[in-house]
Amino acid sequence: MISEFNRNKVINVVSLDAATLAVHGILDDSIYSLELDFKVRIDDLVCFAVSGRWLRWTTPECPEALKFLAQAEGFCLEPGIDEKIHKIIGRTACRHFANLFIECAYAVRETVKLLHWQQAQADGSELSLKDFLQRGKPQEGVAGATERSTAAANKVEIKADSAAAVAVDGLKEPAKKTAGNAAVGKGGFVIDLHVHTSPASPCASDSVTAMIIEAKRIGLQGICLTDHNYLWSESEIEALRRKHDFPVFRANEIVTEQGDMLVFGFYEDVQGIIKLRELKRRVAAVGGFIVAAHPFRGFLTFGADDIGLTREKAASREMFQLVDGIEVLNGKVTETENGLAQEVAQALKLPATGGSDAHDVSTVGFYATVFTQAVNSEKELVAALHKGNYQPVKFR
Amino acid sequence: MANNILEFSLNRSTSVEPLNDGNLLSICQLRDTFTAAEIRMLVKMPELEIAEISGSFRHAYLDEIEDLNAALQQLLGVRVGAGMLKIIKGLLGEAENLDQVVYMVEEACHGVILHLTKKVLLKAPEDAEAKFAFYANMVKKSIRLYDRCAAFAKGSPLVAELEAEQRAGGER
Ligand SMILES: [Zn+2]
Repeated sequence: MISEFNRNKVINVVSLDAATLAVHGILDDSIYSLELDFKVRIDDLVCFAVSGRWLRWTTPECPEALKFLAQAEGFCLEPGIDEKIHKIIGRTACRHFANLFIECAYAVRETVKLLHWQQAQADGSELSLKDFLQRGKPQEGVAGATERSTAAANKVEIKADSAAAVAVDGLKEPAKKTAGNAAVGKGGFVIDLHVHTSPASPCASDSVTAMIIEAKRIGLQGICLTDHNYLWSESEIEALRRKHDFPVFRANEIVTEQGDMLVFGFYEDVQGIIKLRELKRRVAAVGGFIVAAHPFRGFLTFGADDIGLTREKAASREMFQLVDGIEVLNGKVTETENGLAQEVAQALKLPATGGSDAHDVSTVGFYATVFTQAVNSEKELVAALHKGNYQPVKFR
Repeated sequence: MANNILEFSLNRSTSVEPLNDGNLLSICQLRDTFTAAEIRMLVKMPELEIAEISGSFRHAYLDEIEDLNAALQQLLGVRVGAGMLKIIKGLLGEAENLDQVVYMVEEACHGVILHLTKKVLLKAPEDAEAKFAFYANMVKKSIRLYDRCAAFAKGSPLVAELEAEQRAGGER
């Protein structure tokens, strides 16, 4: 046997003094080699004195990443910190430094648990490590705040915020109204069928108001909100339609074990993951419509062509037996990936849609779907999707 | 305390081995002060689907995972790629004693992606100018790299050409 790729990570944690830990992390793999050093206050898990070093990297600009590591100064390394490390260190510095940092944060939390237990033993406790950590939940609060309860709390906030975002809106409508909304334009009735908004989709950065204003400005005839596993209420959508005098529709981008699905005409609030087969059963029962979102969204550095994925192999995926349509123009994937989706849709004779997958105003309407007839309600949208009189288009 | 003796240490190693039939065997192993764990997965190529998976997990203070291997079978058919963490977490659940298993499955998947990335990077020319062009072209081909790390950040020399093209496209 020959391993062709190897990644080794080593993290060491030592006590500098009673209040401080020093962390040293190494990531060394077939492509990269990097190191991270920082200190952590034991009582609140806040890190400081962050520094890093490259030994091997890829692009000529990778060394720039080191400048951005200082942004981790002051991070509190509680369990929920991983996402922040991804977002800040991963996106401004380098995803491999973020990977190493997350590993270090885990090691720090484990170390603090060990130190607390050792201290209790020194103070005369006879509890085993396991019993101590289970009984000592309050003390563990420093190192083990429950991630899930925070996530649950956020969920509630999102719902409240989005309602507020509809009601309190700081953005002004542009003075000029774009003609062509709510009627079939020369080229047809164009709807961006894949749009995310903040805060309903945590990964999006612009509000629903901003997205609608931009959609109107660029001359779309409608947009469909497809926030991740998020159900807009009928009244919220109605309020948005009236306020902006613009066709706003809702769908839901639901995550299944076979990838993300855009689901239309289905109003169950699905949380967590659902099997595509089960989703299909429920959606079909109410006459809804499932579109496989970006089915070949792949990888940053290689494409389907690099790994020899042919149209036949691609089309044989189980997913395509269960969906009603395929998104063949998605604004977040490469041309090759869209191209493959297009070929598969043709081969399987499945309807094809387009959507920007916009997460901010700059990309709304990049791709869209053009219907031959005006679509005035969600009911009409679902009926039109079933009917099949539409095409994906590059709009912007 | 300040005796320079380690309080805690962690070793994680991930390796990817191409098999004769073209499929990939990815193994992630973890040894730290509290944990001894391993995840092995076979990834079917070129579909990049998890075709076999097994694992073991021993831990100093977390409850034993009742039937880890049965739980892992839920991941069969999952595709290695963007969005996989959400799927892995959703299928395995978020119990505290499964956190590390979820992470290790993800690492084993990353290993597969990095293995395939390495093959692409081996095509990078050695000459500085050609190498620069190779990476500038990579971000053009895969726009999701743009502004997602320091090397491909807005204003980086590597994206100058891409940004110029975008400006020209916007004016048209
Ligand atoms: Zn999306």
